[in-house]
Amino acid sequence: MPKPLSSSQIFLQGLWNDNPVLRQILGICSTLAVTNLLVNTLVMNAGLIFTVGMSSLTVSILRNYTPMKIRMMAQTLIIASYVIIVDIAIAAYLPDISEALGPYVGLIITNCIVMGRCEAFAMKNRPWASFLDGLAMSLGYGAVLLIIAVIREPLGFGTLLGYRVMPEGFTPWTIMIMAPGAFFTLGLFVWFLRAKFPQTAEEKKQGH
Amino acid sequence: MKKRLYSIVFMFVLTFVFAAVVSAVKVHNEERIQINQQVKLQRVILKVLGVPVDEKAPNRVVIQAFERRVKAIEVKQQTLYVGYGEGGKQITGYAFPVGGAGFWGPVYGMVSVDPEASRIMGIAFYRHSETPGLGARITETWFTQQFAGLPIFPVEGDKKIFFLKPAGPGKGPNELDAITGATGTSRAVEAFVNRDLDRFLREMWKQVKKG
Repeated sequence: MPKPLSSSQIFLQGLWNDNPVLRQILGICSTLAVTNLLVNTLVMNAGLIFTVGMSSLTVSILRNYTPMKIRMMAQTLIIASYVIIVDIAIAAYLPDISEALGPYVGLIITNCIVMGRCEAFAMKNRPWASFLDGLAMSLGYGAVLLIIAVIREPLGFGTLLGYRVMPEGFTPWTIMIMAPGAFFTLGLFVWFLRAKFPQTAEEKKQGH
Repeated sequence: MKKRLYSIVFMFVLTFVFAAVVSAVKVHNEERIQINQQVKLQRVILKVLGVPVDEKAPNRVVIQAFERRVKAIEVKQQTLYVGYGEGGKQITGYAFPVGGAGFWGPVYGMVSVDPEASRIMGIAFYRHSETPGLGARITETWFTQQFAGLPIFPVEGDKKIFFLKPAGPGKGPNELDAITGATGTSRAVEAFVNRDLDRFLREMWKQVKKG
């Protein structure tokens, strides 16, 4: 059994070394969908942090009692329950944002990061470490989304959090509002970071 | 065998616990969610009827204003919202829902007409799944403002009450600016608003005039 990771190691992994979006290229669907407005991104992040943290914690607590054969079923049930709770909470307290996010809150269930962390980490680690891992991974995801949203919203709408930031007469880039804009932004961003900070042998070999 | 039974019992208990928690959260928040939806609709109706309500006004204020200034009546199995003046006697206009298929999904809106049903007073779209920054601009003021004062009349055949044309000068009185880059949404809005206005005049309005 490998030595358990310390809290700081867990956070370093989630935010940087194993960042789900940058390094593992997970959760791309929602990355494309909710990053055209910063406020949507913030709410999505909060929802995901809650879901991944709580799911990892619960899965970890139950890990020694969960039969191996039905563990995926149990994980899906746990994740779905937390997602529905998030969905209800947003509809009740932030109705406008609930409308704007549409189906994407419900689709947190299918975000690979959630089940990925349950399977890869929470099934093998203690509850507290699993909870931290969930937080770290979703924060890593959230950080990338925020950066993309901060690029997309000003270029696509000329605003940031609804406040005008671009000069009068600026023509919004329509493509930044739509999914292709996110593809380009994310692609360039991942390329830049991987070229600047190569991690795998292959990335290093390419001579950056 | 024992292992299998354990799996079934485990899953059963787990499902039971989580279903109970989710149900409790749902029941606890149900009323609030319903009020949110109801108030949202009331805000739209007040807006198209020209009753000033601050956008940030709390739900309670909206509900009060709605109760004082608007009465919902059933005409031909459809809801018609009658707007009343400050005193609560004089009719200031009628509002009714419009809607249909947009470019990506259904669009829901509300239109109001003056007490003679001769002109549009206001229009608002409050639920849709159009592209932000393109089709979603149907909710922006410059777009909805164009409809204010538009004369309405029952139309024959494939004629229309109004047209959405590419933005630019030299427009007829019933030609409004469409949204650049959202031709699909503009066409859809043109089609269903024309259809619903015509239907209102032919069905509901006849009934209202009869009393």
